[in-house]
Amino acid sequence: MQDQATITLTINGLTYTRAVDARLLLSDFLRHELGLTGTHVGCEHGVCGACTILMDGRSARSCLTLAIQADGATIETVEGLGRMSDLGRVQQAFREHHGLQCGFCTPGFLMTITDMLRHHPLETDDAIREALSGNICRCTGYQHIVDAVRELARERGPLT
Amino acid sequence: MKPARFDYVRAESIAHAVEALAGAGGDGKVLAGGQSLMPMMNFRLVKPSVLVDINRIPDLDRITQEAGVLRLGALVRHRMTAEDGLVARHIPVLHAAMKHVAHLTVRNRGTFCGSVCHADPAAEMPMMTLLLDGTIHIASPRGDRTMAARDFLVGSLSTALEPDEMVVAVDLAIPEDGTGWAFEEFSRRHGDYALAAIAVLMARADGRMRNVRIAMMGIADTALRFADVEAALEGREGTPAAFDEAAALLQAAIQPNSDLNASADYRRHLAGALARRALAEAWQRTGETTGGAA
Amino acid sequence: MTAFDASVEMRPRLVGQRIKRTEDPRLLTGSGRYVDDMAPQGLLHVAVLRSDQPHARIRSIDVGEAFAVPGVVAIFDAGDIAGDFKPAIPTSRMKGYYATPFRPLAEGKVRYVGEPVVAVVAESRYAAEDALELISIDYEPLPVAVSKDDAAMDDAPLLHDEAGTNVIISRTFARGDVDAAIAAAAVVVKGRFRMTRKTPMPMETRSYLAEWDRRRQALTLHSSTNIPGIICDVLGSCLDLPGNRVRVVAPDVGGSFGGKGSLNHEEMLVCVLARKLERPVKFVADRMEDLTAMSQAFDETIEAELAVDADGRLLGLRADVIGDIGAYSIYPWTGALEPVQVVSFLPGPYRMEHYRGRVRGVLTPKPPTGPYRGVGRPSSTFAMERLMDMAARKLGMDPSEIRRRNLVTAEEFPYRTGSGIIWDRSAFQECLQGVCELVDYPALLRQRDAARAEGRWVGIGLASYAELTGIGSRIAVAPGMPINTGTETASIRIDATGAVTAAFGISSHGQGLETTLAQVVADELGCRMEDIEIQHGDSALVPMGTGTYASRSAVLGGGAATKTARVVKAKVLKAAAFLMDVPVDDLEAEGGIIRARSSNATMTFREVAHAVYAQMGRIPHEQREDLVGSESYDPYLGTACASTHLAMVEVDPATFAVTVKRFAVAEDCGRIINPLIVDGQVHGAVAQGIGAALLEEVVHDEGGQLLTASLADYLVPIASTMPEIEILHVEADLPNNIGGFRGMGEGGTIGAPAAIANAVSDALAPLGIEVDTLPVTPDRLFRLVQAARGSARL
Repeated sequence: MQDQATITLTINGLTYTRAVDARLLLSDFLRHELGLTGTHVGCEHGVCGACTILMDGRSARSCLTLAIQADGATIETVEGLGRMSDLGRVQQAFREHHGLQCGFCTPGFLMTITDMLRHHPLETDDAIREALSGNICRCTGYQHIVDAVRELARERGPLT
Repeated sequence: MKPARFDYVRAESIAHAVEALAGAGGDGKVLAGGQSLMPMMNFRLVKPSVLVDINRIPDLDRITQEAGVLRLGALVRHRMTAEDGLVARHIPVLHAAMKHVAHLTVRNRGTFCGSVCHADPAAEMPMMTLLLDGTIHIASPRGDRTMAARDFLVGSLSTALEPDEMVVAVDLAIPEDGTGWAFEEFSRRHGDYALAAIAVLMARADGRMRNVRIAMMGIADTALRFADVEAALEGREGTPAAFDEAAALLQAAIQPNSDLNASADYRRHLAGALARRALAEAWQRTGETTGGAA
Repeated sequence: MTAFDASVEMRPRLVGQRIKRTEDPRLLTGSGRYVDDMAPQGLLHVAVLRSDQPHARIRSIDVGEAFAVPGVVAIFDAGDIAGDFKPAIPTSRMKGYYATPFRPLAEGKVRYVGEPVVAVVAESRYAAEDALELISIDYEPLPVAVSKDDAAMDDAPLLHDEAGTNVIISRTFARGDVDAAIAAAAVVVKGRFRMTRKTPMPMETRSYLAEWDRRRQALTLHSSTNIPGIICDVLGSCLDLPGNRVRVVAPDVGGSFGGKGSLNHEEMLVCVLARKLERPVKFVADRMEDLTAMSQAFDETIEAELAVDADGRLLGLRADVIGDIGAYSIYPWTGALEPVQVVSFLPGPYRMEHYRGRVRGVLTPKPPTGPYRGVGRPSSTFAMERLMDMAARKLGMDPSEIRRRNLVTAEEFPYRTGSGIIWDRSAFQECLQGVCELVDYPALLRQRDAARAEGRWVGIGLASYAELTGIGSRIAVAPGMPINTGTETASIRIDATGAVTAAFGISSHGQGLETTLAQVVADELGCRMEDIEIQHGDSALVPMGTGTYASRSAVLGGGAATKTARVVKAKVLKAAAFLMDVPVDDLEAEGGIIRARSSNATMTFREVAHAVYAQMGRIPHEQREDLVGSESYDPYLGTACASTHLAMVEVDPATFAVTVKRFAVAEDCGRIINPLIVDGQVHGAVAQGIGAALLEEVVHDEGGQLLTASLADYLVPIASTMPEIEILHVEADLPNNIGGFRGMGEGGTIGAPAAIANAVSDALAPLGIEVDTLPVTPDRLFRLVQAARGSARL
């Protein structure tokens, strides 16, 4: 029983060890303890999806996850998807299709879409829209995001 | 919106978990998927003194077939239920219901048993447990026990679970072969909590309805079964008139609340409309092979 | 065509193209920098204890054991900071108006649930929230009138005693004799329309970081604002600091939609506290705080009557509007911004002689209403377009036809409406015609009729509107407001490396202005786009700038960019002419290369710049000029931006859910700088409009308590709610401003609610239902249908 602990976890391929309060949210840990501010916080009640990261390969709300729970986990965040000079494929598609405006919800979308492309069939626009519907964007009306995902899904082909 | 302080226990086993709960002086909480608990903690609506994280307990993430039932362990995530072959084959109504459960990312984490314990009157899992004559497997330092879903679900966000107890699994009865089914839900947006939903199971023999089971949610403090309506349909032919009658009986039986999204009158209307749709659909599906346990 | 053809040289190279945004790489890689991403050394965090009372006197505040919470540094109430600031006063020249003082923390009494009362400063937000739980406030509840109708009564309890009334805004616009017109009309339709309260809900919550520089005795505020210049000016005056010791920076800002376009309590608060504590102080609202206390929108009831002759020609409109402006008149726009614009814009894009619109703005115990994408026009368009359809129905005329007969035509511009707005030439008629062609309107009607014959509830709705955008100094953004919002300044400099820095007073919060303004500058200056850095969102960049709001930045920022680039280009060419020994008229610049037409000799911008700045004596000093310029632009009046929206919906007769099957927009936004960005703006604004029409509603109960304090209760559109949006750009004659641009950021929120309301009414036309309240939720539709059927059959 403890209200503090030392955790070790891998984030975007790097290993971090830090002492944390038990109540520290993973979103705050990433942003304020590690300076990985690409993960954004939009609601802290699990509705908006801005804080979505990948934990052990699947998307998760970092605002509904305690940092202490991520001890030993493999985390992927937006910072791991590509760099400004070398955008990852999902990032490129977002740029080409103008899938972002203010950029605040974008990291969450990119991580959700990474999960979608790894694990979900995405055969129709309806399926794409349904899979995206746990992430809120107030700027784009979703259309250009759907366009980007449609292209990515086509490129990927059927799931094997 | 940051949680209050608590002591954290990473449970290694069920015994460890329930010991920690017992030591929390009635103020402990189990953390499984956290998709309902964590928001409430962030809002500081729930401030447990001890948080017992069961996510590392081995073997709880299994869906297994036992005699006449599917058993879902305490760490079965919604995504697993939605994608599981046993569920799709044996309990297609549950498979269908999973499409309405929140969103992709929440399904990755949220658990079936956690949702049953959270007992939200507008969430799918408590209703499906009730429909499928569920049995709740409960552990505590005082020993193990089981409880029928109808006894377990007490009210809105309220169950019969004692402070030192945790749910380790839920058993769902596999409907007999050829059972027709339907799941109808209405929410404001995809993935939202339901304004109302209904799930129906029925068999057909000699052109008549048999063994009808009806569960609804969103229309009371907790999901409900409707024994009287089920009985009234028993032996009836599956006609629109019978479904209309049943819908009217259901509407008369419920006392829905008015809230932000829906007035009581609208909810009552919705209950009837969804009931007519679901009964007709389930009737149409009767006789289909489910490959069930019968 | 010869090489000297000026039209070739003048043709824009980048303006008009689908250029990928320069902002994107940083935002896509998590390299953006929003206020909460900053953490200076010694940072302190603020949590705010808010009123749980709608109207009460503060008897006492007991901090209990709050100081004992580990990490707590200080706790403040209004008394503790009383001498540290002057309140902000949202003045206006309107008659009978009362400007409610605006303060960081409630003083003496609270006036809405969510108003800040006590601030806890701590080493972490966690600790600050721990302390909040230990503080208790003893209130003496005061009587309240929660609804605007009650609050407007003569004997209603007063929210601000000094005002002597809750009705602090009262205006009437009139032309002609509307009473006679209505009395004599062949057809009169009327309704009582309600556009309920909304919240802007940008994805980034309000975030403020104040730093006090002890050495300079100067304040820097990093704020998620879209009006850094205005905030800088008001903070300077409230904190008694000269402009060179206050700087307001809006870094990357995660949307606003109006919610970040006014002064906020907490914005003042962090500045007061940072100066007092001499440490950096940050406040980041959580979502509940934004839903509770961010400025809100709309909330009007519009009673209106429209008179039409037998041919469907509009004769006159009479309206009485009452707007619920909340507990304070917001700074700087005042509480008049929203409701007064409703009556200003109510006559719409139509030819109509007689008009009388009366409006009252009423104080109520709710968060203040403020700017919201579309301001006033979503509500006015909803009411007017509903009346148009009701009149068409009475006349048995198609909704497109009644609009065609009344939309101002090309030869009638400039047209002055009954409320005094002057419509500049814009594609009013062409947008209506365009959208009908885009969707094949007759075929769509047949589709609807076929569905109707099957008993399905399918309907089509049109909404035409015009808005004033890019307005200059002749027209106040808000009535009687003393701040100049009609001017923007650009400042461009080329340095010794040939790099171009263009600084503006505007402030992008998602619009992509770094891209569009770079397109304009590159074209005008003749340099390469990649050599340009656009700077914005910083009060220190140009002497006077206000920010980005009211669909102004393309017109005003683009205009200032054009003027300034031309000045700088002249200097570049003058230097190049000397260096290349050719007449300046012989030179042209494009893509960063200056070329002599006669000889084809070239120099790059970089070479010219290097010669000007770095090569001693290369240019004689009397001829040498720095390659800099700063010009301001004022379009004086404004320009119209017209559009017609079309929605096709289906209502589920069992659940009363509304599904938007098709949505099409035809709009005239003048010369398009970047079609990709324009499409994105339309999509986003339409989504917000569909949200307003079907989902979004801030609800306060009879006791003034907020019922929609989470995103599970305040519903915004998600991907699965939205249809594909079809867009037609109608580029009619370009407006008479420097770039030929029209502002277009807000339009979608204006047309969509009305189009949806008309489509739903059309779907339910067989039952005679007229939608008069938005959002038209399943529950509201259920009740409308139930009433129409007038029986217990449901």
